[in-house]
Amino acid sequence: MPQFFSNKRLVLLLVGMIFLVALISFSLRDRNHASLPEQLIKDVVGFGQTMFSKPTQYVTGIFNNVESLLNTYDENKRLKARLEDYATLQASVNDLQLENEEIRKIIDKEESLRAFNPIQSTVIARNPDQWEEKIIIDKGEIHGVDVNMAVMTSQGLIGKVILTTPYTSTVELLSTQNPNYRVSAVIADEQEVFGLIEGYDVERKELVLKRIDSEFEVKKGQKVTTSGLGGIFPKGILIGEVTEVTTDDYGLTQLAYVKPAASFSILDHVIISKRSINPVDGTDGGNTEADLTEGAGEES
Amino acid sequence: MIRYVVVIISVLLFYMEPIFGLFSPIELNGDFYVLVPRFLIIYLIFIAIYYDRKRAMLYGLIFGLLYDVFFIDIIGLYSFIFPLMCLVASFIVRFVHHHLLVATILTLLLVAVVEIVLFLFYTSIGIKAMTFADFYQFNLIPTMIANSVFILMFGWAFKYILLNRFNQKLLLLQK
Repeated sequence: MPQFFSNKRLVLLLVGMIFLVALISFSLRDRNHASLPEQLIKDVVGFGQTMFSKPTQYVTGIFNNVESLLNTYDENKRLKARLEDYATLQASVNDLQLENEEIRKIIDKEESLRAFNPIQSTVIARNPDQWEEKIIIDKGEIHGVDVNMAVMTSQGLIGKVILTTPYTSTVELLSTQNPNYRVSAVIADEQEVFGLIEGYDVERKELVLKRIDSEFEVKKGQKVTTSGLGGIFPKGILIGEVTEVTTDDYGLTQLAYVKPAASFSILDHVIISKRSINPVDGTDGGNTEADLTEGAGEES
Repeated sequence: MIRYVVVIISVLLFYMEPIFGLFSPIELNGDFYVLVPRFLIIYLIFIAIYYDRKRAMLYGLIFGLLYDVFFIDIIGLYSFIFPLMCLVASFIVRFVHHHLLVATILTLLLVAVVEIVLFLFYTSIGIKAMTFADFYQFNLIPTMIANSVFILMFGWAFKYILLNRFNQKLLLLQK
């Protein structure tokens, strides 16, 4: 090769390569914390990104409105058919809610795992190379967002916060292949059956609900929600619907495939749920239980 | 004036990429096709071909670093790939004709190389488990189609702007 690699260039290239490999391994080691310069860059770029994504969402919003206008007639017909059922359902829900509140008052239990403060937020970017299932939203620490909080759309759970800076945060979607990604879940239908959402089956495009006690019977079509026992997520966020039940690799517990209720493909508005009861770093997070064993780890 | 246009376009493309990323993956018959917008690297390769290699590599380094920090939290991945692609492009273009069609084909080839390098990287560090056949069918082909549409639409404009800037600089040097 004529003059492509002179000695000086070769040395520069090698030094550069070594430096980059060092940087890559350094940043791969601890990806859930952003250092100060990283936070600064993220906030500045995030600000610019908001400037660009807000008008785009306005335009796509108009297109969506036109599309829903075209579907109005069909939808109206279907909705009318459902309306009667809805009224009776609403009445019984109201009744049950009232009763629940009264009973809670009687036993002096005000707090509930279900209660959470919703933080409304807009998706400003999706990781454009899409090798990892991540989105970036426009609310950060200043607005009360914290690592490991549950993120959902109106349809159901979509993921959790993995990284925060003052003005933005990064959300990892449920469809990730990260093996440390767990969500404590429950199938509540006559009796409560607990399990852990662990992993995503790429071929079936369904979540895998593992560690279900084999004594319980799980049926196709049952709804899976968050259990609130993982320490961070509130209780009762819809995750999806069971499509198939088998035994796991070792034959000790059951395994269910869950079709996610929310779609992960086009996301614009999401809700971050900050639960009212104190969070504990349990299975929903890093599983350190640092709040419970405070100080214990430092001594050893 | 045109001096700033070169920078402004790259900033615009940097911000447009994730917005187009929001429309992907596209679902067709139950399969998800991933379209990765690679506007910025296309533009940078055009800079390397028609304007200035050093400038292209510098932009590649800066935007690659922003990309790394903001989106993927692995510093050093894109900030290595972007300048490398500009270097390779400027090296190859010495031996071929500077025609727009040649530049387009070269750019598309290099975008495919970027995709394949990233595939090798992510599968080797274990973030994603995927066979090459799946990658080829659901990522590479749709991505290449989307990006060739982009080049066909904007390639001539990039060439026009960058050549103008190149000639302007030549005039300045001659004075």
